[in-house]
Amino acid sequence: MSSNQHHGFDGECDRLPLAHLAPDHLAPHLPLPRFSAARRRFLKTSAAIASGFVLSNCARNLSNVNLGSGDSPSPTSNAGVAKNPASGKLYIYTWANYTDDELIKGFQEKTGIQVVADPFDSNETMMAKMQAGGGTAYSIIYPSDYTVIDMVEAGMLTPLDHSRLQGLDTLRPKWQNPVYDRGNAHSIPAVWGTTGLIYDPQKVGKEIDGWSYIWDNRKSLTRQITLIDDVREVMGATLRTLGYSYNTTSPDQIKKAYSKLVQIKPTIASFLTTGWEDQLASGDVTVSMAYSQDAIKLIEEKPNLKYVVPKTGSSVWTDTMVIPKSAPNPDAAYAWMNYLLQPDIAAGLVQRLRTATANQAAFDLLPPETQKDDRLFPTEAMLSKCEGVAPVPARIAEVYDQYWTRLTSS
Amino acid sequence: MSQTVIRDYSVSGTDTRLDVELRKVFKVYDGETAVRGIDLDIHQGEFFSILGPSGCGKTTTLRMIAGFEDPSGGEVMIRGKSMLGVPPYKRPVNTVFQSYALFGHLTVWDNVAFSLRLKSCGNTELRERVGDALQLVKMSDFARRFPAQLSGGQQQRVALARALVNHPTVLLLDEPLGALDLKLRKEMQVELSNLHHELGLTFVMVTHDQEEALSLSDRIAVMNNGKIEQIGTPSEIYEHPKTAFVADFIGDTNLLKGQIESIYAETLQIVTDSGLHIVAKPKTLWNGADSSSSNSSSSNSSSSNLSGSHASEAFVSIRPEKVHLELSPPADSISSRNCYAGKLKHVMYLGTHVSYQVELATGDRIAVLQPNRSSLMDLGTSVYVYWAAEDCLALAPQE
Amino acid sequence: MSTSTPSSPPLAESLPASSQGWQKLTRLIEPIALLVPSGVWLLLLLVAPTLLILELSFIPGFRLGQSAGDYGIGNYLEIFQPIYFQVILRSVLFAIGCTVTCMLLGFPVAYWIAVMAPSRWRNLLLVAFVLPLWTSSLLRAYAWITILRPSGSLNSLLSALHLPSQEWLNQTPAVYIGMAYSFLPYMVLILYASLEKLDKRLLEAASDLGATPQQTFWKVTVPQTLPGIAAGGLLVFITSLGEFVVPELLGGASSMTISRLIYNQFLGATRNWGLGSSFSILMITGVSIAIALLLKYGDRDSALSG
Repeated sequence: MSSNQHHGFDGECDRLPLAHLAPDHLAPHLPLPRFSAARRRFLKTSAAIASGFVLSNCARNLSNVNLGSGDSPSPTSNAGVAKNPASGKLYIYTWANYTDDELIKGFQEKTGIQVVADPFDSNETMMAKMQAGGGTAYSIIYPSDYTVIDMVEAGMLTPLDHSRLQGLDTLRPKWQNPVYDRGNAHSIPAVWGTTGLIYDPQKVGKEIDGWSYIWDNRKSLTRQITLIDDVREVMGATLRTLGYSYNTTSPDQIKKAYSKLVQIKPTIASFLTTGWEDQLASGDVTVSMAYSQDAIKLIEEKPNLKYVVPKTGSSVWTDTMVIPKSAPNPDAAYAWMNYLLQPDIAAGLVQRLRTATANQAAFDLLPPETQKDDRLFPTEAMLSKCEGVAPVPARIAEVYDQYWTRLTSS
Repeated sequence: MSQTVIRDYSVSGTDTRLDVELRKVFKVYDGETAVRGIDLDIHQGEFFSILGPSGCGKTTTLRMIAGFEDPSGGEVMIRGKSMLGVPPYKRPVNTVFQSYALFGHLTVWDNVAFSLRLKSCGNTELRERVGDALQLVKMSDFARRFPAQLSGGQQQRVALARALVNHPTVLLLDEPLGALDLKLRKEMQVELSNLHHELGLTFVMVTHDQEEALSLSDRIAVMNNGKIEQIGTPSEIYEHPKTAFVADFIGDTNLLKGQIESIYAETLQIVTDSGLHIVAKPKTLWNGADSSSSNSSSSNSSSSNLSGSHASEAFVSIRPEKVHLELSPPADSISSRNCYAGKLKHVMYLGTHVSYQVELATGDRIAVLQPNRSSLMDLGTSVYVYWAAEDCLALAPQE
Repeated sequence: MSTSTPSSPPLAESLPASSQGWQKLTRLIEPIALLVPSGVWLLLLLVAPTLLILELSFIPGFRLGQSAGDYGIGNYLEIFQPIYFQVILRSVLFAIGCTVTCMLLGFPVAYWIAVMAPSRWRNLLLVAFVLPLWTSSLLRAYAWITILRPSGSLNSLLSALHLPSQEWLNQTPAVYIGMAYSFLPYMVLILYASLEKLDKRLLEAASDLGATPQQTFWKVTVPQTLPGIAAGGLLVFITSLGEFVVPELLGGASSMTISRLIYNQFLGATRNWGLGSSFSILMITGVSIAIALLLKYGDRDSALSG
């Protein structure tokens, strides 16, 4: 008897309607801990402690937490209020390096709204906090694509009133109707990127163009590579080299991917989402699997390094902005979204923070060398081979997890 | 205290060969000298005590024999062999510690068997010897107990058995009875004495209890301030102390400071600082001049050329039990030579004896110990105290 | 909501009876009142969360944000899969290795501070040894990465000595080094407390009875400090069993521990809180048994020596 047996049935029933839209986008929550700075580890540890505390706060009815309680204002009832100038404070819950002082200052000058940004380090931590009722102060959250699905499913998000948003039409076509949130009904894309490999071409002696490099050179790469500490990214990349989908739900394919991964186990020095930068820069490892965002940051410091999106395809991810139902200040939240949808503001962020924008108008404002930077903005040809990591049903998630446990404990 | 029965032990029972020799042994701790060059010969089979107040260096001396401390100078020899650099575990001595130092994690049996097991002694022999040792101290019934389950006296016995089981050349005892109550102490004293006779071993005991030393020892070394004041049999030490310290430390005594006015034949005329004239006729000669310690005394002992102006300092010691206490002065002139009037200032009932304090006209207080024979005298009674000149000791002053 | 105080009965008459009753009441209430703060603390922060985890562990496949299913023992059955067994085994081996290393390194140090060092230096030495505890365990792990990595200080030293450089990082020995370094201060502190209480005269007694220093150590020092050794060993064992930062950072690709497994169940891919809870309960049970054994053992010993 396995734990998914009981869970599976009603879970699938719940999600049937969604399944029509995107067969792979079933069910729950996958981790995508992202983005750099050693600080992230501290956050992770404290998150573990915090989640212990969360546990003590709520008993079995954790599962019935309803963030969309009746007293929280619905978008329609807010329509009238929207004409009033938004005011007060705006609390946003976001990844550590998605905002900077200039952005917050500029927003405050324009709207008079004071912004307080709290960082989170993983979607799961954010979800746990929101579901436990610890995030009622936030009017804006930055979940990743697959987490948007979870949050919609859990009824945590306010459907967006598109009449209150200006500039949605300037989004790149790919984000006009994204698979994780059809028609941007609950979210608007904030930052996107890819997963790939970063390495020192001089040390490697040639250009790496795909995942297969690791398999081809596994004899000479003992403890020379780091992979992202994330089951779906690592398994997805392997699935991709086998020609399968990043989001496969076939246990058989997952098993094949696992068997292939085992072949390169000796080459894996460590699974690191963050903390690989230093090891790569110092030459302790030769190749690291990384999110484009982190890779670009490091390359700014170490121009000798190179980031590549594997030719067989990889994952493309989007971090979005959403308004939770519990948002105390939805007017300010709309104001924030509108501010970030302004092409000049979005372009400024790309220049300062080196984050990729999904806003075509903003892209057009960028200098040509930035536009042509295919690390930041991969070509359509590259993107066409990439998939977004999408949620899989709980029992499949467990299959992934068990192979992962096996891989990391063998 | 002074009712102590003094065993006038002869040295006849002991071998003349030496078990322990100390030669000019010094010990300095952090610049403080604990032992100042002592010489000691301990004969085979002897029960030898080192007696002194706390801090006199007696325990340090014992620890140097055991090997826990290395002498800063001089030499310790056991059975003629120098113990220089020989660690405790290679010395043919065993120690009974003041606190017993029993191993709490081992049973009585295992405590006693400890040293034999280290020597990988055969099983049968081990059982026999541990059994014998426990029987010797009457602890056979407690073999399976742990030390914490025993009384102080029982622990003491186990400590003894543990030290004896190894058949040491010399048994060292560091204040062995110090932690016991009076009654138990008396019992154990008798047993220690019996053990010594039975085993014929050399015992070296450190104690601050003069009564214990007097009652058990063949010979005693009295230590003070890192030096040996006197070595002798208990009666020698008690009856003929060589120094004021010994006289004062061994038993109670009336110690009066004064000047020697004249020495004639064996009779000394002494005037105390308070003005008391005392005639002393000690059995041992006045040793003020020939004592090894150099002091202010420039007089020579037996000659009578001592001028009154150039008096020599001395202490007069009279044991309380040698002082007579009467309501009227004695009739005979001999006795009346050291006779003084005074008032009873203090009476202490001791059961077998009564202790009195008499204040003389000079302000001196004389302690008197009398057998509890007649009825008690009342406080404030006018009395006379007197003593024989032969019971008076004249001693050189302390350094 | 009247705030007026209840009228008190005539004092003189009722004094004996009421004061007696009051005394009785006080006697009854006092111990309870004294226990209340710690009791509430214990209940809120220990008992309640543990009960919650216990409950979750009996809901197979429980996930945050989804309706809970029926009770069952599915989670516990799942624990006994070979892969999980392997993880548990590794965690236990890490913990044992760490404990043994700490013991081997910690005992001489504690012995030296407690028995051999001049007493005026003792506190200073202790503080020096405990100092690393004041830094974050994460910082310590990163420091070890700096030392052990291929281009790290240790290999620089080796190459300066014309010795071949070695691979240290991302392997099991690095985990032992990092964990032992983390927990050594605890071990030293506990062993010090135990050794300091050791009656030095027992060592003299052993020596007097013919035991060489080595024999004294094994036959007296170790048995006498056994409660401390057991306490220190258990504390280090338990804490290192729960450790996942160090194995994670220093242990490389094969460093999955039970703590990380639990973390993964709560905040990872599957978010299977039910399974995570059952692993937690397994760990709590194991640790509780170990502590119970220690208490029993410690009691016996203190009864004997006290």
